[in-house]
Amino acid sequence: MADGTATVGPVAAVGALTRDQVEILTARKGEPEWLRAGRLKAWDAFAAAPMPTTRDEDWRYTDIGRMLKLEGFALADEAASVADADGLPAGLRAVVDESGETSARVAQVDASVVLREVPAELAAQGLIVSSLETALREHPALVERWLGTAVTDEDGKFAALNSAYWTGGLFVYVPRGVKVEVPVRSYRWITAAGTAVFGRTLVVAEAGAEVAIVDEVASDDFDRPTLSTSAAELFADEGAKVTYVSVQRWGLGVAHLSTDRLVAGRDAKITTLYTTLGGDLSRADVKCRLRAPGSHVDMLGVYVAQGQQHFDHETLQDHVAPHASSNLLFKGALDDRSRSVFRGLIRVHPKAQRTDAYQTNRNLILAAGARADSLPNLEIQADDVRCSHAATVGQLDEEEIFYLLSRCIPKAEAVRLVVFGFFAEVLDQLPHEGVRRELLRAVERKLARRAQA
Amino acid sequence: MAQPLLKITNLHAEIAEDGTEILRGVDLELNEGQIHAIMGPNGSGKSTLSKVIAGHPAYEVTDGDILYRGESILGLQPDERARAGVFLAFQYPVEIPGVSVANFMRTALNAKRGEEVDIFDFQDELEARMGMLEMDPAFAARSVNDGFSGGEKKRNEILQLAMLEPLLAVMDETDSGLDIDALRIVTGGINRIKSERPEMAVLLITHYQRMLNYITPDVVHVMVEGRIARSGGAELALELEERGYDWLREEAGAV
Repeated sequence: MADGTATVGPVAAVGALTRDQVEILTARKGEPEWLRAGRLKAWDAFAAAPMPTTRDEDWRYTDIGRMLKLEGFALADEAASVADADGLPAGLRAVVDESGETSARVAQVDASVVLREVPAELAAQGLIVSSLETALREHPALVERWLGTAVTDEDGKFAALNSAYWTGGLFVYVPRGVKVEVPVRSYRWITAAGTAVFGRTLVVAEAGAEVAIVDEVASDDFDRPTLSTSAAELFADEGAKVTYVSVQRWGLGVAHLSTDRLVAGRDAKITTLYTTLGGDLSRADVKCRLRAPGSHVDMLGVYVAQGQQHFDHETLQDHVAPHASSNLLFKGALDDRSRSVFRGLIRVHPKAQRTDAYQTNRNLILAAGARADSLPNLEIQADDVRCSHAATVGQLDEEEIFYLLSRCIPKAEAVRLVVFGFFAEVLDQLPHEGVRRELLRAVERKLARRAQA
Repeated sequence: MAQPLLKITNLHAEIAEDGTEILRGVDLELNEGQIHAIMGPNGSGKSTLSKVIAGHPAYEVTDGDILYRGESILGLQPDERARAGVFLAFQYPVEIPGVSVANFMRTALNAKRGEEVDIFDFQDELEARMGMLEMDPAFAARSVNDGFSGGEKKRNEILQLAMLEPLLAVMDETDSGLDIDALRIVTGGINRIKSERPEMAVLLITHYQRMLNYITPDVVHVMVEGRIARSGGAELALELEERGYDWLREEAGAV
């Protein structure tokens, strides 16, 4: 399979993942030579890397070779641009309509960004929000300067696959000192079962800039395996404040593999929140690099798994510089026969004295068939640091449930309330009240599926 | 006179997990509007009785019955009993992290009434009730019982009693852990609710007589070793205060 040769059915014959397809893609888009070479190099890295197995530490609890067959997917089609949000597919429009306050927005359907709206007053301040393809044409130097510098071919087979195949994409550039108060929104939507989409996000916040980005993916449920790989690179320069909220609401049938790399410069502050709700298989590999003194990163996560869903979060708080701090809190609720894996590492390099780094993962098991594995870890090579980690896997507290029952509240609602409260500790840390409420609703809706089941 | 509001007959109950019998034939009748106190030494089964009335899953009823308004409630889930008008004020109110008092209270009230309560009416009512209990309005935004002092937890129980308007209020050692000021506020709240809704019956479970200085019971029962060993008027509580429980234990042992 590693060489990507088409072996399965007519779909694969059209859209199989091959080196030729990469050539065709880059030629069709008329891309510059540096990008063409980068894509092909990434393809080679993808093809050379064996499919991970459970013998690989990173994949110990996610038997990816069994869960995902890369042979069967067709490349997602290009989609035509639309004039406004009304022209989006109905399901995506519903997602867009649920969003609260929005400054600029970009929507990708399958392989193409089809909608881009940027308020004139923000554009006038130099804010760039566009597809990555458009940015390549309009701001080639910026894209070349940053793309592929944080997510590299060393970041694993699926990151390399994404680097070879990404289309559409999101580019956000906030110039020095510009503060975007209202969140920027990105949406990605898949229309056809059996296809593969490759999303890509590049965010650059210059010194003193401030921006919040809500990066949301969603689809209907599919009756066939469908693939999403994504990669995000985010750079916060000196004193910049960046909030990055990932909302994964793929339908069933989707396997989602993301590789995100976030880099915090001097005195920069990055807040990330990963909300994982959808898909059959979801694997997020998120690494934050505290590159310079004074930087601070909050890594937050919320996941709700039901049915046979399998969610895997792998995190790294990478303390390269001294006097930096990071705080991670991931919480998940697991129902039915779902599974979750959390592997988190705090790594403190020898020069990173005076590091403050904390990591907590808590899991709530809602059904006897569900399972959570939590593996927090520390790797500390400096001596003057404060680091800790904690992990718990627990059941619902029967006394809490009885208390709520005794106050007239039916069982299903009591469970929802307790789970809701469990997540509040995470969501309350998000600085954007409106986005927080949207996420609460998304979590509530997911939990409501439980009550009906 | 109509049927009693609560009629407990020959109630036997054990801890579900290990089969330890705690209640060994409790008989009790409580009429609408009455206040009964149940006193007794530690371990006599008072708290267990309150939990069994509310339907706590840790206990299994092995014999006898609990009739509420003439019908057995043993087959009802705890939330069904609560919606029918049975309220248990917990000895140790449970913390629900991340769920605000207001959200919790509104969810409970919606469930009780079977319809969405108007949000503004709800807030007015909640504020008024909190005022009665001398609670800071900021309280409504705090997580239920999370980090509350002992007194705050008990006041929060009375707040729920006021909001949910039950027909039967079972108060499990509501006086425990309260200083004299908190005790005054809490018992004042109960008396106030009782005066607004005289039909409400109260079953006060307490170890000490001091709560009965504030709330006057119609009947005092003494529970010993899983049974009601003796019943009498308010004066029985005073007698217990003087003589302790040992003489009753000896009597019960002699039976």
